[in-house]
This record gives sequence, C-alpha cells and structure tokens, in this order.
Amino acid sequence: MEQNTIETDVLIIGGGTAGCLAAVELRERFPGINVTIMEKAHIDRSGCLAGGMNAINAYLNPGETPESFVKYVRFDSCGIIREDLVMSMAELFEYCVKKVEKWGLPILCDDKGNYIPRGRWNIKINGESLKPIIAKAAKNAGAKVLNWVVATNYIVVDGRVTGAIGLSIRNGNLFVIKAKATIIATGGAAGIYKPNNAHDAQHKTWYCPYNTGAGYAMGIRAGAEMTSFEMRYIGLRVKDTIAPTGTIALGVGAPQINSKGEKFMAVKYANIGGDGAPTPYRSHGPLQEIKEGRGPVYLDTRHITPQQARDLKSAFLDMYPSMVLYWAANEIDPSKEPVEVQTTEPYIVGGHTQSGYWVDINRKTSIEGLYAAGDVSGGAPYKFVSGCWAEGVIAAKAAGEYIQKASFADIPQEIIKEERERVFQPLLNHTHKKEGIKSYDMEVRLQKIMEEYAGGAATFYEVNEERLLVAKRRLSTLPEQFQYLMAEDLHELMKAHEVIDRFYVAQTLVEHMLYRKETRWPGYCTRTDFTERDDDNWLKFVNSRRDPATGNVKVFTRPYEQVVPGDRYKPR
Amino acid sequence: MPVIIHADKCDGCHGSQNPPCVRMCPGDLLMKDPKTGKILMRDPAECWDCLPCVKVCPQEAIEFKLSYQLGFHTAKLLPHIHDTRDFITWELRDTKGNTDKFTIRTKILPVELDEKIEGVTAVDFSI
Repeated sequence: MEQNTIETDVLIIGGGTAGCLAAVELRERFPGINVTIMEKAHIDRSGCLAGGMNAINAYLNPGETPESFVKYVRFDSCGIIREDLVMSMAELFEYCVKKVEKWGLPILCDDKGNYIPRGRWNIKINGESLKPIIAKAAKNAGAKVLNWVVATNYIVVDGRVTGAIGLSIRNGNLFVIKAKATIIATGGAAGIYKPNNAHDAQHKTWYCPYNTGAGYAMGIRAGAEMTSFEMRYIGLRVKDTIAPTGTIALGVGAPQINSKGEKFMAVKYANIGGDGAPTPYRSHGPLQEIKEGRGPVYLDTRHITPQQARDLKSAFLDMYPSMVLYWAANEIDPSKEPVEVQTTEPYIVGGHTQSGYWVDINRKTSIEGLYAAGDVSGGAPYKFVSGCWAEGVIAAKAAGEYIQKASFADIPQEIIKEERERVFQPLLNHTHKKEGIKSYDMEVRLQKIMEEYAGGAATFYEVNEERLLVAKRRLSTLPEQFQYLMAEDLHELMKAHEVIDRFYVAQTLVEHMLYRKETRWPGYCTRTDFTERDDDNWLKFVNSRRDPATGNVKVFTRPYEQVVPGDRYKPR
Repeated sequence: MPVIIHADKCDGCHGSQNPPCVRMCPGDLLMKDPKTGKILMRDPAECWDCLPCVKVCPQEAIEFKLSYQLGFHTAKLLPHIHDTRDFITWELRDTKGNTDKFTIRTKILPVELDEKIEGVTAVDFSI
C-alpha cells in the first residue's frame, strides 16, 4: 500500500459519458494541458454505457429548437427545471452527436442520409460499442487514464477543491491527485433502495449498479450545495428484466393497458397527454391500476408485425441483450402477447430526473475549483447520453479557463493521513481479525430502512412526515457503525466505501423528501400528507448543504426562474 | 448466475495479466485465478448482465445465463463478432431448441490481449 502522487491540470473523476467528452474537449480546446481521468473500473466499458445504447434520446429533430426542448422538459418535469441549464445543453446536442458520429458511432439514416427519428427527441443508433468508441477518443486526445482507481474524497484546501484521493483496487495504492481544477462525473446512485430482484438477480437493475453515488457523497461530505434529491427516478420498465420501455413504447407505439385491457393512460390522463404524459405520471398511472386491483399492467404490443418484433429484438440487442434471452427463455412473443411492465427501485440521478450538485451555467459547483457534469449534476433533467456529453463539454470549457489563473495547492499531510486511515480501516479490521460487518449486510440494512420508511416499491413509493422521520432517525445511527465495516480484499474494500457513500445520498434524500411539502411528481415522490401540487408555495428548488464540521444538514430553497415563456404544464 | 466461464474454452489469454474480459467488466467481478490461469467470477449476484465480457472473449468461453428465477434453462444467446468487426451476429435459442439469428451493424474496436495498468507497478493478489 504505497502512495502515488500525481499532478494534473484538470482531474476528471469518472470516465463515463460526461467524463470522456470533457477530456476530449479540454485537450482540443486547451492544447498542452494535462488531463487525468480517475476511473473506478476500466474506461473501455465502465458505467451506464457498458451494455450499449440503441438511441440518442435528447436530440433536436427537424423543426425542434433549444427553446422547444426546454418547454418539453419543463412539462415532463412537472413545471420546474433549471431552464438555463437545459437550454445550454440543448444548444450542444448537434455538436456532440456529430462529434461522436465522426469517431465511428453508427447512426441510422434514411435513403437521403437523414437521421431516423424515434419519437420527438430521439434518433436510432447501433450503439453496442458506444462506450469503447468514446473511451478511445478520450485516450487518443491524450488524457491519462487511471483505471481501477476509486475516488474516495476531494482534497479541500482553504475552501477550494484542489484534487482528490483515490484507492487503487488493483494494488491497494492510495492515489493523491493534485489538480488545479476537478470535474466530477461519477454518475448517479443505484442501490439506495431494495432492488427489484433478489438473490442472484439483485443487480438486474436498470441503472448501472456500480454507480453508487460516490460523486454525490464526496460533495455532500465536503459541504457542496445539492439540489432536488427528492425528485427520485422511478422508471416504468419491462417486468423482471427491468429493461427500458422507450424502445417498445416509442419504437412500435405501444400504449399501456391494465388487466381489463383498458387504455388507462389514454383515458384517465388524457388532459396531460395520455400515454405521452410526463414521465412520473407514466409510472404513477400504472401504480394506481395495480394498487386498485387492475394489475398486471402491460405495454400492448399485440398489433406489431413479426418483422417489427424482430426489429424490437435487434434494438434491445444493441443495449439490453438480456431482454431478448428473457423472451426466448419464457416463450414470450411480443407480437402475440403484451409486454408486462413494472416500476423500478428509486434511483437518484441527474440525467433523467434532476438530483445533483447545484451548479451555475458553466457547471461550476458551490465549491471553488469543482465542476460537475452528467448524472451527478443537478437541475437539468432529460440529459440522457447526449445531455451528459454536452455537460462534459461545458464543464471542460469552464475548467480549462479556470486553470489559466489557478495554481496547485500545498496539501497538508494531515488530510492525506486522515483519509488513508478512513479508506483502509475496513481492510485493517479484517487483518486484525476484529468482529465486524460485511458491506453487503450494511447495504441490506440501509435498503431496508429506505424501502420501509422512505417510500420503497412495497409502499407504492408513498411517503409521509412520520415515516420519513423514522427513516431519518434510523439512518442517523448508521455512521457510528462504519468503523466496524470489514473487507477481506480490495474489491470488498471498494464495496465498503460504496455503502458508506450510499448512506450520505440516502441521508440527503430523506431530508429533501421531508422538506418539500407537496406532491410535485406523483409516482416519484408521492406524499400522502400533501397530496397536491402547490405552485403557490413550492415552485422552487429544494437544496441542501451538509456542514462538514458538524455533520448537520441544512435544507433551504432557491427560486425557480422561467426563461422560456409559455404554459409550464404544456409540452409545446 | 449471469455469466459462466467455460473452463474448457478459457485459456486465460495465455500470459495476460489483465485479459480483455477482466478489463471490460464494469463491476470488477472477473479475475484471473493465479493457480489455474483461468478466469473466475467473484460473485454472480453482483453481475449486471451487460455482456461486454461475453462479447470480447476471443475464445467465446464466457456464456451469459439468465438467473433461473427469470428464465428457463437451455435458452441461449450467443454473440459472434465478425472478423471485419463491423457486424455482430447474435444466435438465439429458445427452450424448445428453436433458433434465430440477428446480424447488427456495429463498430468493434480492436482489443489487446493484455494491458499495463497506469500507475500500478505490480499486481499483488495477496492483498
């Protein structure tokens, strides 16, 4: 267990969707600067894109503009988004998509060479190799990649992030990275709640189970301002495989039906768009059908031709191959029977919903020297792949300009010593044969608290003040237990820190859910004690900051600003 | 048991310290057994079913299996990368033995059999 000390102009934590594009942009725009990517897995297939993608879901098809995109995303997020942020990413969709196409991504085109739309904001791709393609671009651009180095904490000196500390899970070295600027791009958090499947399918999740909220947790511990954690993402997914439903619903135009064959979205939610209602309602609607005894709920695919069924399978093979094996292993033909759907465990993400760092238009966080991009960055939902690319580009420009007048900081040795002790304690507990807790057991404990008191699937994701206060109380005793975590190898040591990180996400989440006394997003965060949307009092962002000295979390609000005129509850 | 490694086909990519499948797993779940030189799965319950390890194996020694609670035995999904690397053919078999094939455009990048880890001088399996 030695120490590697590295100096780099810009440190990017997380070599995923946002991180790769940030690296390329930095090296192209600011020739000669050093860029280092700290990556917990191997950059070629790490993070959300490991399995591939079959569509770019945030793109301006002909006739659409950044303004029309902002209107739609505002509608989809029930009237509140950071319009400035969403606008700035939409302006870069074309730049990013063209760039990645040039690197080799196959994008489906018609006879005239135009991209093939799949819905208003989507184009079809053959993105099985999307991740290795953008990883190669980052490497070709000259970014130094530290694979299998798990970020554990920022180095904060005089209120400025001056790098980060990471753990190599290959040789146990502590990496101390001194940076003039840092871009956090670690993705969101899965595994906060009990997963949909159990036993050997517990990681059969929609969101990448290896995204465990490290970037959120490091920010929370350092006292960064966070926003909108209470807008959890609970997606409508194919039952059992938890595969995305957009491929079916948008790909072949399949409406939701209940067990009676009724098109309940089209009927009951007609005034807000029916099957095209805002995303939270597309989870809320089916949940109500199931709750009221009209489940199971399906996407009705019985109208599709055998060729369309084949095309559907091809599309899933590009992104979620297990869906195709599932149909074969259960003798399901989606052209003959409807596809059963269910809702996911709640995930905390900033790319579908808007949980994350509170940032300015340049993706600068509330801590100097730190920029955030992708799922970890808040206020700008509906990013998906291309929005994360755009945020990587924006953060890169800002960080690159910042370092022109920033220098390396002297890092006090106590910071490194303290972090070394914190990081390796679970391993030392094992070496010294102490009695302790496995990371998995603590993970289950955390998930049990969140599932039962903070609105898990079993309670239809509903919360109230009293149950949330129980969650808060039970969570508050967990940190005392961190000292007993045990790790018998470096993989387990990583997992011990993953569960610690998840705790900080969960704690912040519960504070946010307690604070917002309305139901803004039914399905995502339904409060049974405040069942209605309340624009008079709650058309604002719920933000928080944990005081690093005391550990107390302060929750407060920030105003919403409308940039694009129009009815906030209309998609156009 | 999401992926299984067929020991008869796995050659550990010979002397490779970091074989492609080990590098491609986003969950750090595959490792080379220092005794046998073959690949081991750390914990099947941690697998995401994302398949990069399956697609990258030069011996096609890694097979994706659905957890039994999700699908019946004998169904198979086997990806084959074309030599030209611009197509992938997926061979699908259901529980009755009916087969189907899907050939899809892609852009597979060449993958080295081994790779040095940046900043890491020696891999110590004993830690």
